[in-house]
Amino acid sequence: MKHIKVIAKSTICREQGTGCGECQSSCQSACKTSCTVGNQSCEQKKINNVFKESK
Amino acid sequence: MVHTFKCLDRFFALDVESGSVFEIDELTKELIDLQGAPLDNAKEPFSCYSKKEIEDAQGEIQELIDQKILFTPEGKHNEPKYNGIVKALCLNISHNCSLRCEYCFADGGSYNDKRRNMDKSVAFAAIDFLIARSGSRRNLEVDFFGGEPLLNIDVVKATVEYARNKEKQFNKNFRFTITTNAYKLDDDDIDFFNREMYNVVLSIDGRKEVHNRVRKTANGEDSFDIILNNARRFREKRGDKQYYIRGTFTALNKDFSIDALYLNDMGFDQISLEPVVLPSSHRLAIHEEDVPELVEQYEILAREYIERRKTDKWFNFFHFMIDIAGGPCETKRLVGCGAGNEYLAVAPNGNIYPCHQFDGKSDYIIGNVVSGEFDDTLPKKFACANLTTKPECLKCWAKYYCSGGCAANSVNFCGDINKPYTITCALMKKRVECAIAIKAIEGNL
Repeated sequence: MKHIKVIAKSTICREQGTGCGECQSSCQSACKTSCTVGNQSCEQKKINNVFKESK
Repeated sequence: MVHTFKCLDRFFALDVESGSVFEIDELTKELIDLQGAPLDNAKEPFSCYSKKEIEDAQGEIQELIDQKILFTPEGKHNEPKYNGIVKALCLNISHNCSLRCEYCFADGGSYNDKRRNMDKSVAFAAIDFLIARSGSRRNLEVDFFGGEPLLNIDVVKATVEYARNKEKQFNKNFRFTITTNAYKLDDDDIDFFNREMYNVVLSIDGRKEVHNRVRKTANGEDSFDIILNNARRFREKRGDKQYYIRGTFTALNKDFSIDALYLNDMGFDQISLEPVVLPSSHRLAIHEEDVPELVEQYEILAREYIERRKTDKWFNFFHFMIDIAGGPCETKRLVGCGAGNEYLAVAPNGNIYPCHQFDGKSDYIIGNVVSGEFDDTLPKKFACANLTTKPECLKCWAKYYCSGGCAANSVNFCGDINKPYTITCALMKKRVECAIAIKAIEGNL
């Protein structure tokens, strides 16, 4: 493509069964007065990545 | 919904519902912004492009629409439901503080209460409460907050030990964090933090004069030199474990990018600066008319951020760390911080509140960890207040990055948990734009 460069595709996971709640509370993570969730990580993805790396 | 914007001299598009991100040229931006309206080649801005250029760009847009990653319609949400589970506690371990910061929402740490510390028995009861309420959640969070937690460090240590001893029995993993002003931080504390704390937040506002102007000791003395010295000692020993230097900017330092960079110059590589939230009559309050200047500061900071990250002055700025290639699931994006529901705060007398910012507000007492009382009326109310119940937020392109904003700010400044506090909205939007631009420019997705 000449006019558009894709930086990231479909990043919002809407699968059923998500929302396990194992991730960190956003307010606890750094600032205590902000609600940013966009910089939170999915705990399941972290576990899966560690699992993949250890294989 | 597609949000297009210019940041750091480049153009971008965010497909809100899919979370897809694109770098685009100016012509494509203009075409996307038409949002289906008829295009007139003879008029600005299209008159300066050839017919072929316009058709090429339109073709690329259509290709992405066909792939369902541009102009993605809003789907049905997995609506969050109240399940009574609590996974995080903020323990206001001390209602006392060594500082008297002028903007403190907690009235100098006391929360309009008498200055006192939490007893060990109350802290232990809070841990038992958390375990009992956490269902099958394995990862539990406890943040030691105040006031100043170092004024009650023996109870902090005892509480950590108490919780650690319960981990195996209940199959839980405690992640402790602590937020401190670092004024009384000694080497023993640092060693303890490095052993036990998943994250440590140290409060410094930036330049010496900025910090000292608003963060005085209880005796009215400057606190900067002592705090900086302690924080640098901490940083040296922290290694690669998580920490943040967290500052507040106010109407008196709207040029806060200088403070962020100053903190980096002082040797810190994990930095967060937050806008003060105060009633508009306060001399430090940020007003709507300050927003353009503050927005510009984020852009200034972003430019320098990219440059420094190529050098030995590499650093992270909390709000520029948005994970645009992944991030949390939709449910998390809808519920946000979980205050009043899965995240609660406990005062020294054991009273339970929706979050630390509600401590001391009698209308917001949910129960007490010592007596065992727990009324789920408020938790249900807070659980129901998510992105899907905030009409103004649902129309906003940044909704999946902020989740509708801070519940406490909405209640305290808008009188309604479902109404966003708009000053922070504008700043949040700019931070997301900068974060996207930085990621695209750095290319490290």
